[in-house]
Amino acid sequence: MTAPARAVRWTAPTQSGPPADGVTHAEVAAFLAYEAEALDSHQFERWAELVDDAFTYRVPVPVLQDNVSSPGYDTGSLLLDEDKTSIIQLWFGRFGEDIYEFAWGDHPPVRMRHFVTNVRVRTSDTPDMLDVRANVRVHMVRQTMQKGELVAERFDRVRRTPDGLRLLSRFAVLDDLVLEAPQLRVML
Amino acid sequence: MALVEDTNRFTVSRRVYFDPTVHKAELERVFRRSWMFVAHESEIPSPGDYVTRVLGTDPVIVVRDEQGAVQVLLNTCRHRGTPLCRASMGNSSHFRCSYHGWTYANTGDLRGVTFQVDVYGKDFDKARFGLYRARTETTHGLVFATWNPDAAPIADELGPMTYYLQAIFGKLDEGYEVMGPPVQSRMPCSWKSETENLSGDGYHTPVAHQSAFTMGLFARPEDLTAFGDVPSKRFPGRVVDCGNGHTIRIQHLPVVAKKPLYLGYPEELWPEITRNLAPGQVDMQSRLSVTHGTIFPNFSFLENFKTGTDGPGSMCRYIRLTLKVPIAADRTQLLWWHLVPKAASEAWKAESQRAYVRTNGAAGMFEVDDGENFIGVAEAHRGRVALDGAYELVGGLHQPRAEGLEWPGDVVDADRSEHTIRAWMRRWQDLMDVAT
Repeated sequence: MTAPARAVRWTAPTQSGPPADGVTHAEVAAFLAYEAEALDSHQFERWAELVDDAFTYRVPVPVLQDNVSSPGYDTGSLLLDEDKTSIIQLWFGRFGEDIYEFAWGDHPPVRMRHFVTNVRVRTSDTPDMLDVRANVRVHMVRQTMQKGELVAERFDRVRRTPDGLRLLSRFAVLDDLVLEAPQLRVML
Repeated sequence: MALVEDTNRFTVSRRVYFDPTVHKAELERVFRRSWMFVAHESEIPSPGDYVTRVLGTDPVIVVRDEQGAVQVLLNTCRHRGTPLCRASMGNSSHFRCSYHGWTYANTGDLRGVTFQVDVYGKDFDKARFGLYRARTETTHGLVFATWNPDAAPIADELGPMTYYLQAIFGKLDEGYEVMGPPVQSRMPCSWKSETENLSGDGYHTPVAHQSAFTMGLFARPEDLTAFGDVPSKRFPGRVVDCGNGHTIRIQHLPVVAKKPLYLGYPEELWPEITRNLAPGQVDMQSRLSVTHGTIFPNFSFLENFKTGTDGPGSMCRYIRLTLKVPIAADRTQLLWWHLVPKAASEAWKAESQRAYVRTNGAAGMFEVDDGENFIGVAEAHRGRVALDGAYELVGGLHQPRAEGLEWPGDVVDADRSEHTIRAWMRRWQDLMDVAT
């Protein structure tokens, strides 16, 4: 059995460099934990400071193929496709004073908790650029009762700058095929 | 008393949505009888291509056989019931059962029986044991199937809706294709909530999606003045009852121009759109703000024009298909497809996808707010008292019919109406009344 020919538009970045040293691992793991804290506690300005202006965020559509080498996602279509501007304007903007009252699905906000583990840091051919893989589980509670979670593997690019680490891109591959979380508009 | 009463106070019992007994009955009377969408033909372009789906509530394989015909096969071996396909998609000329090894061609015909003579003797008639097949027809790239051997042909079923499907899916020389496989999600809501919303509810938009207005995702006069006169801020719209519960809403941008404006599409496609459509269809597609509708019972389409999704000045169109699979009265599985013109550039397709996923995709802003309402309605019916109530669906009963249009069907000249939900409910009640 073979898979039908499909467009290849987006794939997880290849991360094949040698592992970074232990200090760098610890530094990146802490960076990701503080990034998650900013998201979970709605510190939008703090989050924006940790993210490069050229930031992109993509989540491909999960798919189950009868092929052991399949990446587990579709390479031609996305569930989420955002950049720093769209996240600040169209996501965080919903919590602005004049909008929040009518941002029904975020009012009250879904409570989210990121669990970021298995952080793996590899050096790349580009100086000051780190390739970072991590597992992430986002647990969510909407209003009083509805619970759910999304589990994914992140493929991040992190840039070292004079001001500290900055997140340059995130490509997150979901494990779930049928998504059942209270909100799918999520930074995994 | 009927659950849906078509009187001058059109009433719909809330049990229609959330009574498990009613839901059990509709699985037989609605989902065993209706034509239902299963796939877009671009998902299975080549012989052997298949996708696994649900038809009504039953798992099926939708496959293009070696002769090029689309088959919809119940995904269960005739021998002992094992599923034959486990993946979402693939390509295969045959399906082999993992239990005892019976093997079927992708037409559904049984071809091989393991140790046939040893187990069944010499006279075993394989022709009697093909996979169960649904009736299948494709129209405008949309693959429909039904378990009902007596269902009318799809063209008769759709009636005037065909005119509007042609205007949406038939306007390009090379047609549309899916960007990829559908996103699948589950929500604790009635399958009817999104279905009736997309049948033609323009009433909820200014309230439920107010944040999107504030953020500039709906065209403002300054977005449109480059294309023509903008005499008013009001977006005019109409809703159409096409019969059999199939309905559509069409809303236009408040711009007046001397030539057709297919805003949001690449301009090199504009001449062929006009060439492929009748004058009334051009009038529908030109200046389009949004059109959406529902093919009874559980399939909806949306063609939308959005501004500001990719920074100031951006504008783009996308087509979305959604299928609502009932899991329980208050639990629904949704499938979401994004369609793009085959002939568009890769850059345009990516731009359309950005507009789509940020607004009407499964994770888009509009769906966050619609979902809140649909889930909320289900939560409000956990008790007993709410179920005893009824809705009076009288919105728009006084509205005038549109005059002098080429458009077929029962066309109401109003953008905010419950005309289409009444049409859907009438069909539902007709089917529920039929003895099985």
